[in-house]
Amino acid sequence: MGTNLIEIENIKKELASDLKKSSSLEGIDMLKTKYLGKQGKINILFKTLPIKTDPKLGKKINDLKDLIQTKLSEQLTTILTSDNKMSFDVSIPGTPMPRGSLHLISQAIEEIENIFVSLGFVRRRYPEVDTDWYYAEGLNIPKGHPARDDQETFYLDDNIVLTAHTSNGQLHEMELKKTPPIKMINIGKTYRRQIDTTHTPMFHQFEGLVIDKDINITHLLGVTEYFAKSYFGQDRHTRLRPHHFQFTEPSFEIDITCGVCSGSGMVEKTPCKVCKSGWLELGGAGMVHPNVIKNGGFNPEECSGFAFGWGVERVLMMKTGIPDIRLIYSDDIRFLNQF
Amino acid sequence: MDIIITDSALRKFLDTTADAEVISKHVSLCGPTFDRIKKVPNDYIFEIEAITNRVDTACSLGVARETAAILTQFNLPAKLINDPYKDVPKFPDGFPIKFHFSIEENLVVRFVAISMENINVKPSPKDTQTLLEHTGQRSLNNCIDVTNEITLFYGLPCHVFDLDKLAAQKLIIRESNKGETITTLDEEKNKLPGGDIVIEDGSGRLVDLCGIMGGQVAEIDDHTKNILLIVPIYDPQKIRKTSLSLQKRTVAAQLYEKQPDPELCLPVISKAVQLLKERADGDISSDIYDYYPNQRAPKLISLDFNWLNRFVGIDIDKNNAITSLASLGFGGTIEKDHLICSVPSWRYHDINIKEDIAEEVARIYGYFRLPSILPCVNLPSESTNLLLSTENKIKNYLSAVGFHETYNSSLISLDMIEKNDLNPDTHLKLKNALSRDFEYLRSSLVPSGLENLKHNIGRTSDKFLTFEISNVYRRVSGQTLPSEISNLAIISTEDYRNTKGRLESLFEHLHLVDTAFLPGKNSPAFYDEKCTAEIHSQNTLVGHVGYIKPTVLRKYGFQPTLTVIELDLPKLTTKILPQSTFTPISEYPLVIEDLTINSKKLIGDIIEKIKNTTTLIKDVEYLNSYGTKHTFKVSFGSFEKNLEQNEVNNLKEIIQKQFTV
Repeated sequence: MGTNLIEIENIKKELASDLKKSSSLEGIDMLKTKYLGKQGKINILFKTLPIKTDPKLGKKINDLKDLIQTKLSEQLTTILTSDNKMSFDVSIPGTPMPRGSLHLISQAIEEIENIFVSLGFVRRRYPEVDTDWYYAEGLNIPKGHPARDDQETFYLDDNIVLTAHTSNGQLHEMELKKTPPIKMINIGKTYRRQIDTTHTPMFHQFEGLVIDKDINITHLLGVTEYFAKSYFGQDRHTRLRPHHFQFTEPSFEIDITCGVCSGSGMVEKTPCKVCKSGWLELGGAGMVHPNVIKNGGFNPEECSGFAFGWGVERVLMMKTGIPDIRLIYSDDIRFLNQF
Repeated sequence: MDIIITDSALRKFLDTTADAEVISKHVSLCGPTFDRIKKVPNDYIFEIEAITNRVDTACSLGVARETAAILTQFNLPAKLINDPYKDVPKFPDGFPIKFHFSIEENLVVRFVAISMENINVKPSPKDTQTLLEHTGQRSLNNCIDVTNEITLFYGLPCHVFDLDKLAAQKLIIRESNKGETITTLDEEKNKLPGGDIVIEDGSGRLVDLCGIMGGQVAEIDDHTKNILLIVPIYDPQKIRKTSLSLQKRTVAAQLYEKQPDPELCLPVISKAVQLLKERADGDISSDIYDYYPNQRAPKLISLDFNWLNRFVGIDIDKNNAITSLASLGFGGTIEKDHLICSVPSWRYHDINIKEDIAEEVARIYGYFRLPSILPCVNLPSESTNLLLSTENKIKNYLSAVGFHETYNSSLISLDMIEKNDLNPDTHLKLKNALSRDFEYLRSSLVPSGLENLKHNIGRTSDKFLTFEISNVYRRVSGQTLPSEISNLAIISTEDYRNTKGRLESLFEHLHLVDTAFLPGKNSPAFYDEKCTAEIHSQNTLVGHVGYIKPTVLRKYGFQPTLTVIELDLPKLTTKILPQSTFTPISEYPLVIEDLTINSKKLIGDIIEKIKNTTTLIKDVEYLNSYGTKHTFKVSFGSFEKNLEQNEVNNLKEIIQKQFTV
């Protein structure tokens, strides 16, 4: 027996008193260093032992070490599980992060672009101000044709127009590619001399064009149906109705089943206010007219194609139920912030 | 062109057991669209959209022909009846009255006329009155009603004059002179633009604004006894021009501008005469007059059945194709794999090429019966369009860090241009603007952005941060078309330093390299030049950032400060690193020290100079300034070793020395 045993007892006492005073994590960390650290009491105690020592003494010190570890660990658990956060209020408002908004039209364009890109279409941008050739003459609309004097087109001079459709991109694309195949989606601004609930002088269109050997009407149906289901929902259906455009032959009007009346044309026994007998007009489409293929520098005997040109705002209004196109162009931050 | 007909009017030409609902549903899929169908006592009213190039379907007869062809495909029994093309009408001759009209060249395709006597003007029978009422017209008297009913049935307008009110029996059909006037049946006095087709009665009076509306002078009244009945077809473009310029979009005008079939003139006048005999007790009192200078040869088009199948995408039975075409009035003979189609007279204008014939076969077969197939196109791969992808990247970034995206019209007003001190002469101006608000193509996005801010004053207490990406349009000398340049504009009520910081973060996000902000020279006119920087990347000017000048702010009533950025995206895009490259990270810690420099140089230049001192300087961050004393936080580091304090101190001294005068 000697000083070592006394020392062990002293350490035990000191620890008991230290533990009483330490109620924080930092305090426990300090005690850990004080007793168990490199220069801690236990290590010092070991260092003071003579080389030949009673193994029992060594065991006693090791027991002390275990005791200290257990006590510290108990105290730590007590501190960590103690209910000292009684006043925590989960309902406190978070600190706001600045958040902006992506415009509805950008969101729609991105969505449309992604659908067509997933089908292997290439995104294009072609002139929004163009010459008469690309806008009309080359699209099989000769001078003096009623489609010319429809009063809807803005002119810069006799030869230069603000395009009222994105179909000028058809000729530009053929010139760019020089030979089939073509599979492109041209999205851009278009202009018409109209303003009311469904028209603004400037709006956006997306124009698809596919030209290759043996492209046929079933392909137009395939792409149309794919787009309609992807954009509007899997439960929607499309139909083609005969129509007339100068730059396609045959031409179609594409309809999609109305989302409000689910295509029935009736809402609670009264005719649906949104659609015509269950159908909404999506836009025009058709097989590219052989004259247009020729004007683009391709041989209509060797290839065929289809094209469509639909309104971005139109599909957006059909999808969101926004009743007035002018609302889409509102610059009210309180409106923009909703999206 | 939207037309209204009734179920009973349709059944004058159609024999079928199918009811109105069935007809409307099936025909809409393959032919003219039945937009709406409304039940009325003993009848249905159909609102039908007749396609522009199908004037033949803008009447009961035409819809009946389509319906008969279409229902047959659905295995529903249906037949066209009372086809006016079937029997050749006969007119008695040898009357004392033989008309000889004077008709100027190129105004008339065909002109058929006949007179009747002993007319007894009275109300129409109840059936006719109901029909007209259902189709949105007003019943006037038996004579006028006959003409309206005929138009509804056959799609060809006709007109009656009180023969006794015409000065002479020799009518002159000519172009109007500018400023001539005619009072039409709607009691409007029209001053003619000139070049309009008119009928003069030989006394200098105009009695008909041809193809649009009759003149009041020869109007039918209760005392009318003798009438002149005409069934003309006019030059479509002249009718359209007059109709548009006088804003008289009558049914007749809309039909004439779409070129109705001249072969229908005789059958139609014959039907009209028959009805006037029955309802107004009239008798023919003249020989038939028929002016038809250019009879058309029948049109033949060859259709290859193999091509047809490739074009439609499925194999269509030959006989089915021939039956469909026959039911629409096409004739044809088969030569091997070809069908030589003869086009019916009422389809003379809309059927021109084999694709037109394919349309007829495919639509009657039913587009809805075709499968939906995604085309497999072997498109060669293309590199990404950097401009488009950068635009998307910018939009997504800015909208996520607090900016609101706006879309504004490319068309702006003169006022907006002038308020921003821009020059209207450099802007492209519309020749036929809709209003003064939309008159010029914008050459900068900033004026629209300032309008956005103006509209939002008082709407939000927050700072105003918006952006727009859109094309601007600029005239290029020696070039036909203006250039369309994609621009980015940012409008910010934050100060220069904050806004510039946000822009620099955007540049880092885009991997735009080697950027510099230099004092602005020749900045756009709305900028306060001394508070504006040119933005350069790799020595190319890509845009400006700066304050709006006080005179412009004052015009809008804005408070200072307003920071505006406008960037040329095609230029900027070319400076973006296509791929981000990997830079190794040093294993040794940085030593970060504050450093104060006393210098009259621009802060940007000081930073550049510090950075360029040695490669051991990894970063220089600006903290603040006091007079000419600027404090920076400088990070020192090495790839080879831990830097010792004395080495860092040495470097700091070297830096300081560069700024001692």
